[in-house]
Amino acid sequence: MIRKGFHIQKSTVIALFLREIKTRFGKYRLGYCWALLEPVLHLFVLWVVFDYVMQRAMSDISFPVFLLNGLIPYFLFSNIATRSINAFEANQGLFNYRPVKPVDTVIARAVLETFIYTMVYFLLMALLLLNGEVIDKINLIELCTVGFLLVVFSFGLGLIVMVVGNAFPEMEKFLPVIIKPLYFISCIMFPLNAVPEEYWGWLLWNPLLHVVELARESLAINYQSEGASLAYLAFSTLIVLFVGLLLYRSREEAMLTS
Amino acid sequence: MIKIENLTKSYRVPNGRHYVFKDLNLELPAGKSVALIGRNGAGKSTLLRMIGGIDKPDCGRIVSQRSISWPVGLSGGFQGSLTGRENVKFVARLYASKAELKEKVAFVEEFAELGNYFDMPIKTYSSGMRSRLSFGLSMAFKFDYYLVDEVTSVGDARFKAKCQQIFEERHKDSSFLMVSHSMETLKSYCDIALYITREAKVTIYNDVQEAIDAYLVNEKIIAING
Repeated sequence: MIRKGFHIQKSTVIALFLREIKTRFGKYRLGYCWALLEPVLHLFVLWVVFDYVMQRAMSDISFPVFLLNGLIPYFLFSNIATRSINAFEANQGLFNYRPVKPVDTVIARAVLETFIYTMVYFLLMALLLLNGEVIDKINLIELCTVGFLLVVFSFGLGLIVMVVGNAFPEMEKFLPVIIKPLYFISCIMFPLNAVPEEYWGWLLWNPLLHVVELARESLAINYQSEGASLAYLAFSTLIVLFVGLLLYRSREEAMLTS
Repeated sequence: MIKIENLTKSYRVPNGRHYVFKDLNLELPAGKSVALIGRNGAGKSTLLRMIGGIDKPDCGRIVSQRSISWPVGLSGGFQGSLTGRENVKFVARLYASKAELKEKVAFVEEFAELGNYFDMPIKTYSSGMRSRLSFGLSMAFKFDYYLVDEVTSVGDARFKAKCQQIFEERHKDSSFLMVSHSMETLKSYCDIALYITREAKVTIYNDVQEAIDAYLVNEKIIAING
């Protein structure tokens, strides 16, 4: 029984995805609910803390909406990147099955994280709306485009860290050192406008900042971020994806060679 | 048919590289079961894994239009926290269409005879149960070639007989690539043989007994008398 490439990859990713869900959440009493509960709780705690500590009244966007659109992109990005490092090692036994390739494990993990955080995002946004928060504009096309670019960007980076991490295990120690500070420089807790303009030149190199600011722009009329650029985000995503695929392509054989 | 072209495979060792195969060219005729004979570490399993596409050669390639199984009885791909059924489902999703999924799971469930344990996490299994599951899983799928690496004795006597029976049944339409230290097993299942010598030379024999004799003589297991 010989099948075609795309078909094989599709069923492989689906199989890995289902396996991943079961392994991660199957053991809990509430089961798959934890997939949503965990990030919801996490975000809720952060929201309470920030709301209390910062007490910042924002004139142009409701604070919870502002915060949510910073935290969720960051978590999605950071989870995909950090989970990709272990994707190869954690699934090593599975490469005995010929259809399974290292890239599939990264795809499956990225899809799972995307799936989880998309649900969390819409769930929490719906809760905020029900709670009377004002969202005066919804540009769904821009929002989805930004979300899509974020996922592709994270996947590209995930590929890079998986391949590099396979050759240099130190990557596992090194990556959090890069990712954690992004929390503070990606405009998650403050708007870009609150930063003196002379620093923008540095901050705007960070594609994650563009994601966060663009997402907010698409949800509030008066929230304007002059620095954020969809073109820059798209371009950097393309580059990261390209580098990721290129690295993977050149190393796939080596990764599977004992 | 499986064609091996200019295959070289080496491992890194403290002082340079150890070559398991150098410029190997081989052609395994279609429809013949092949015995792989050689001492420990000669590269039998490595060759098997490379044919199965699990390990890659340094250079050269292996060409085949046939479907080749994963190593029969492999349990390294099992996830301990998942149940037997879930692990079987995972593999079935990889190798079978959606429509066949149920049938494959049912086959393994019936064949492995694990009863309620089929729905228990694999980490609770004994090693015998584990190999029953993995053997049943391999037999649930039809391949042109089965890779068999040292698994001919699984479980108790009754289960052994059952394995033997399905092995023979599969043998009718499929071929085996077999590594075993039991010469009797090799003789009963294989049509031709590859003998991998100490010097990493690979010779193909059209008769298994001939290869076994060459192996025994070469490795000085029996002396040449007279």
